[in-house]
Amino acid sequence: MARSASSPVEPDPPGRKNTRRRSTAAERSEDQTDLLGERSVELSRFYGGKIETVPKVPVRSLEDFALWYTPGVAAVSRAIQADPERAFELTGRWNTIAIVTDGSRVLGLGEIGPEAALPVMEGKALLFKVLGGVDAIPVPIRVKSPEEFIATVEAMAPAFGGINLEDIASPKCFGILEKLSKRLSIPVWHDDQLGTAAATVAGLLNALELTHRSVHGVRTVLLGAGAANLVTARLLLALGHPAHQLTLVDQKGILHAEREDLDELELRNPWKYRIALTTNGGGRTGDLKAALEGADVLLAASTPKPDTVRPEHVRAMAKDPIVFALANPMPEIWPEVAHEAGAAIVATGRSDFPNQVNNSLIFPAVFRGVLDARARSIPDEVVLAAAKELARGAALKGLSARHLLPTMEESEVFPQIAAAVGDTAVRLGIARRKLSHDEFLERARTLMGRPAQLVRALARARLTPPMPRAGPRRRRTG
Amino acid sequence: MSGEAKGGTRASPPAEPSSAPVHLRPAREGDLAAILPLLLRLKRLNEEFDPLLKVRDDAEQQARQILKADIGNPKAIVLAAEGVGADRDKVVGFVRAHIRERAFYSPEHEGVILDIYLLPLYRRRGVGEFVLREITNALKAKGAGIVTAEFPAQNEIAGRFYTKRGFRPITAVQARSL
Repeated sequence: MARSASSPVEPDPPGRKNTRRRSTAAERSEDQTDLLGERSVELSRFYGGKIETVPKVPVRSLEDFALWYTPGVAAVSRAIQADPERAFELTGRWNTIAIVTDGSRVLGLGEIGPEAALPVMEGKALLFKVLGGVDAIPVPIRVKSPEEFIATVEAMAPAFGGINLEDIASPKCFGILEKLSKRLSIPVWHDDQLGTAAATVAGLLNALELTHRSVHGVRTVLLGAGAANLVTARLLLALGHPAHQLTLVDQKGILHAEREDLDELELRNPWKYRIALTTNGGGRTGDLKAALEGADVLLAASTPKPDTVRPEHVRAMAKDPIVFALANPMPEIWPEVAHEAGAAIVATGRSDFPNQVNNSLIFPAVFRGVLDARARSIPDEVVLAAAKELARGAALKGLSARHLLPTMEESEVFPQIAAAVGDTAVRLGIARRKLSHDEFLERARTLMGRPAQLVRALARARLTPPMPRAGPRRRRTG
Repeated sequence: MSGEAKGGTRASPPAEPSSAPVHLRPAREGDLAAILPLLLRLKRLNEEFDPLLKVRDDAEQQARQILKADIGNPKAIVLAAEGVGADRDKVVGFVRAHIRERAFYSPEHEGVILDIYLLPLYRRRGVGEFVLREITNALKAKGAGIVTAEFPAQNEIAGRFYTKRGFRPITAVQARSL
């Protein structure tokens, strides 16, 4: 791979003094979060939650209920009884998914229980509707074991066209997704695994392009071996990344086949165990520094703690290194610090820096695509198709070190991703409905565009009351 | 399985990629340093299955003495598994077994497999099966008419491994702490 002598991409102009800028960013972030939190509680109380169900049929008089409900509805039931697949045509199942969580790892809050997880799931349902045109029902459940989780979702599956698993602790999330994907004939997705991994891979593909590298030739370090990175590793291997050039690092250092805790991992986290054997540390042992020596790419998805990755770590990497610091809200290294240490391209999980790796770029469109294809599952080929289309979407607008991925505003890319997902489902033979690319695209545009009209119409009609003004700002002291 | 050649035999597992077969030979005192950490890994793994198998603080010292005694004991067998290729002289696993007298039952000599451990990269691909076959042959050669294996009751992986190869439970050991 030819690499130009000078840096192929311009780093950010050097900012203000390192330390000063760093504390400012941290302070700003914390302050902002407090403020948004207060406001969110206020508004949640005012609106009484974030979503509601709305009829989609005319109800001209009470007599219409004879059509929508008994006795008319009995014929619809009989039709579905005769052919259960018709549920996708005669009910809202084609566009309805469940957002299921046990509340075991919610945001950065940890195990907060199903009730406390509900506002987060409501928020996710809102995103699903507004961005993807998908009717998503929040279903936090109280279960004691992965088996009970699986049995519960299996029991509720007849009502849904897809299942979105959310905020489930690693490693149990792997087994739950694997088993449910096998047992159900509707697509099952776990955003913390697949959504984050797909967005990361999309950003990485463009970063490689920008720095004239290929996934077949780079050395990559993944910091953190949780839900997202284990899947990112799997996707990279599927893309042809050499296993012996892939190094995973967690709190115990480089993950390799002879590490002391491997036997325990085989029992407790076979997914991590398998990747340990496949990559064997990329031929290395030791700490993060040892892993990063000469590496082209760092994909950090660890615990939110700044300075987890230090400037000397970045300096130890190859020329023009790519650094993704994806922990939220505190990236493992601040972008300006990474750039000053030589990083050619930096991405984070935050919207206030360039290059936000955001699963909202992926999940609404993936569900739009699989629902429109009435797909039976979501194999990795579909995930990769979404990632590649997202990468292409950014490239169409012009790639730069500050524009690796589309922003949420560049919404024209979402129907394109949905269509790519639909196409792939058809190609793999898992689509119940085989539309053409143009049909998928048209349908996605219509369905993804509708909620914005709906929201506007409801606001115009004052059916959604305008947001009340913020109460007096309570400043934190000390 | 052919007999031993130059004190060792080589696994040639069929079908699956055989990039990591092992070479088995009787362990020597010089192998102690290499086998010791593997034995401790196995005992620590057992701890994962049951708190009543909590590893003692002085387990390393114990393990050293036991291995040393077994290596010179005619009623015991310790085989070292060496890698091949780049890992040629590296001990990547071991197996340890005893010959026990059965006071009331026949056959009266029992070969007891106490420990089998292979580093993760040397598992599957038929290596475990090869090791089992070799230790069984060695126990038979020492007069055993029955072969048994001891492992934590909760270790289902080990349970399946032996069941698949014709073993079945004959004695149960139950415990409670005092």
